[in-house]
Amino acid sequence: MTATDQLHRAPRTDGALTRARRRPLGPIAILLFVVFIGVLIWTARPEDYTTLSIDNATEDGTRAVAQILRGQGVDVRQTATLSGARIADPASTTLVIADGEMLVDYQIEAIADYPGDLVLIRPGQALLDGLDTDLSVRASLDAGAQAARCDDPDATAAESVATLDSVLVGGERSGAVVCFPNADGGGAFAVLDGERRVSVLASWPIVTNEHLDAYGHAALSLRTLGRHESVVWYVGDVFDASTLTWEGSGGDGETPPSEVEANPDFLPPGTGPVLFVLGLTVAVAALWRARRFGRLVREPLPVEVRASEATRGRARLYRRARASGRAAAAMRARAALRMGRRLGLPRTSDRAATVAAIAHAARRDPRDVDRILYGEPPTSDGQLMSIIDELDTLEREVQRP
Amino acid sequence: MYITGWTVLLAALGAVPAAVIHERSFAWLWVLGVLVLACLDALIAPSARAVGVRRTPPGSVRLTESTAVVLEVVNLGSRRVRGAVRDAWQPSTGAVADRHRLRLRGGETARLRTVMVPTRRGDLHADLVTVRSEGPLRLAGCQRSIEAPATLRVLPEFASRKHLPSRLARLREIDGQTAVQLKGAGSEFDSLRDYVIGDDVRSIDWRATARRAEVMVKTYRPERDRRVMIVLDTSRLSAARVGDAPRLDASIEGTLLLTALATKAGDRVQVTAFDRVERARAIGATGPAVMPQLADALATATPALVEPDWPAVARLVQSRLSQRALVVLLTTLDPSAVDGGLLDTVAAITSKHAVLVASVDDPELAELEAARGDAHDHYAAAAAARTAIEQDAIAARVRELGAEVLTALPDHLAPAVADRYLALKASGRL
Repeated sequence: MTATDQLHRAPRTDGALTRARRRPLGPIAILLFVVFIGVLIWTARPEDYTTLSIDNATEDGTRAVAQILRGQGVDVRQTATLSGARIADPASTTLVIADGEMLVDYQIEAIADYPGDLVLIRPGQALLDGLDTDLSVRASLDAGAQAARCDDPDATAAESVATLDSVLVGGERSGAVVCFPNADGGGAFAVLDGERRVSVLASWPIVTNEHLDAYGHAALSLRTLGRHESVVWYVGDVFDASTLTWEGSGGDGETPPSEVEANPDFLPPGTGPVLFVLGLTVAVAALWRARRFGRLVREPLPVEVRASEATRGRARLYRRARASGRAAAAMRARAALRMGRRLGLPRTSDRAATVAAIAHAARRDPRDVDRILYGEPPTSDGQLMSIIDELDTLEREVQRP
Repeated sequence: MYITGWTVLLAALGAVPAAVIHERSFAWLWVLGVLVLACLDALIAPSARAVGVRRTPPGSVRLTESTAVVLEVVNLGSRRVRGAVRDAWQPSTGAVADRHRLRLRGGETARLRTVMVPTRRGDLHADLVTVRSEGPLRLAGCQRSIEAPATLRVLPEFASRKHLPSRLARLREIDGQTAVQLKGAGSEFDSLRDYVIGDDVRSIDWRATARRAEVMVKTYRPERDRRVMIVLDTSRLSAARVGDAPRLDASIEGTLLLTALATKAGDRVQVTAFDRVERARAIGATGPAVMPQLADALATATPALVEPDWPAVARLVQSRLSQRALVVLLTTLDPSAVDGGLLDTVAAITSKHAVLVASVDDPELAELEAARGDAHDHYAAAAAARTAIEQDAIAARVRELGAEVLTALPDHLAPAVADRYLALKASGRL
């Protein structure tokens, strides 16, 4: 069979199963790895880093207090939107409004209408005014521990807490009991008892994971939050435009029509899943493009160096060494050779003969030519450049017909 | 296994139901479903192993000329194979459209042509032939690569052949075919013919005229059957790039033109490419076989990064040549060549033969020497001047040894060598 007729076929390789049976370690390791990653993805919940959120396990979260409350049999539930609160029985529910700065007027009004007990953690001034508490928030200048100094049972049970971040100052009309006052008169905690109980915790860090175990923080937090069998926890969110809902609140928590856009989800419904499908499609497209149609072909490349590389290197050496003398000597010798050849001088002609012939051809003073061609070596770049300039001029004069 | 663009399209189509269903898990299910479908498609696709390939030897092509290689694809199975074939070659073959659609019923054969415009001289090799066989849904298929070696020999370009007609005309001038019939060195007696007006009266052969009634003139032709040996230096310095190509390429052009010319002139030419060992040789061919043999031999000559062994060159020349010949050394006049023994070699060869040393000039050196910008330019000019002086000195020493020296820019080297050959021939110094 000649080479022309030879039929080439793909080599018979073992199937994937045969290979896997012979060397099972690799496939098993890959499988375990995939399962491991799969389990991780399956079990992973999105991490929550919102300040005061009960799912936040970091320093400024409140997961600790929520877990203790749950351990005590209190049903703690966090809602992402006010409309999602849907409090069934306000009488047996504590509504926690954490981070009240973000709330807007109509949301505050709805909260003011809420009949059940309220706990305000880190309230904004607007919220306090909206609830007509006549309390004002000030920055705390003294972070030390303060004794209760009031007759609220929760506060006295806690004995002392720190006035961290901010404090409350009661106004003239205020019926609030301000507890744990520091030297400036601002208190960490205030209670407004009436038809409903409104507890205000201005020194909010005391409920966080970081500070819960200090002083009487845990006692105050647990007593305040655990008065009823269920707690609905809401953390202020700028993107939440809905209003509070409870049994008998009337309305479904939708924002009033005065708002331009009722639904923050301004994209058409289903945009998320569609984008998700398209994202997965990109991954499939990557699979499509990643599979090569045969391997890359090697090209044995030749070594290529510019022939003038050595000369350029020599130029750099001259420059670095400031060898203007050597450079000028080369230029002079080259110019003399070239002019000599043009004038028909033999290569071996001596200095006097060369100078005389060139001076005659250029109609110049021989001494001048001698200075240009055989003068003192230059000592600086400037002198070198002027010598080369003179050589160029001389050569042009010699070449002139 | 591979997937096609249809799989991607199908996955993207999942966006339509996703817009209605509003479920993220649906997206996962859809895409996984599409992938499973593609896997099934690949499983039931006809095996790519059922396809065999057969090569037609591609032969050789001159550099920059276009050629096509043929690949026969045979479906050895009974199922119909649909898919694609890639006939992969080295990138320098310039094979752009090397992918072909494939549609073969059982037992059928297809001939696929891949057009190539090689961009490099030498032996260019084929890589694997890759066969893709599509499943019935066209979503995916299986892929196999087949080893099917082949080599395409790319011959030197011989761009200097455009100089050949004018040099041949000059050759004929020396030759008796023209009116110039002076006997002189480098020509030998050819024949007698009748005198026609315009012939030089000095070439009248009176003895022949006396024998016959007509006036006869002698005609001459250049000496024939001289020996010419061309030595290409493929060592370190021949790798240096001058303009766009290595020095060696200019030397090869010179070799080709000189060989074509000298063969036409009736001389016997042998060529060797040498650095430390002989890399290529063209010897012994006559007539029309000379040029193909030479082009074939020089196709694979590449510069080697070694110092040339000049004494070995001298020995080689002396062993190959028994009678007086013209030895053309295509090398580089460089101070390092002198250290390596170039001068001794030239001296050794000159004692028995005529020697022509040809070297490629670098146009960049002239540019450097003429540059007058900042201080760096001036130093570069001085460095270039120094290099030129050194080369001059070496050329002078080679001339002193009795050899001819020729330096030319890459494009001018081949005609310059040819001209020098003609000059030597006309003066009878071969």
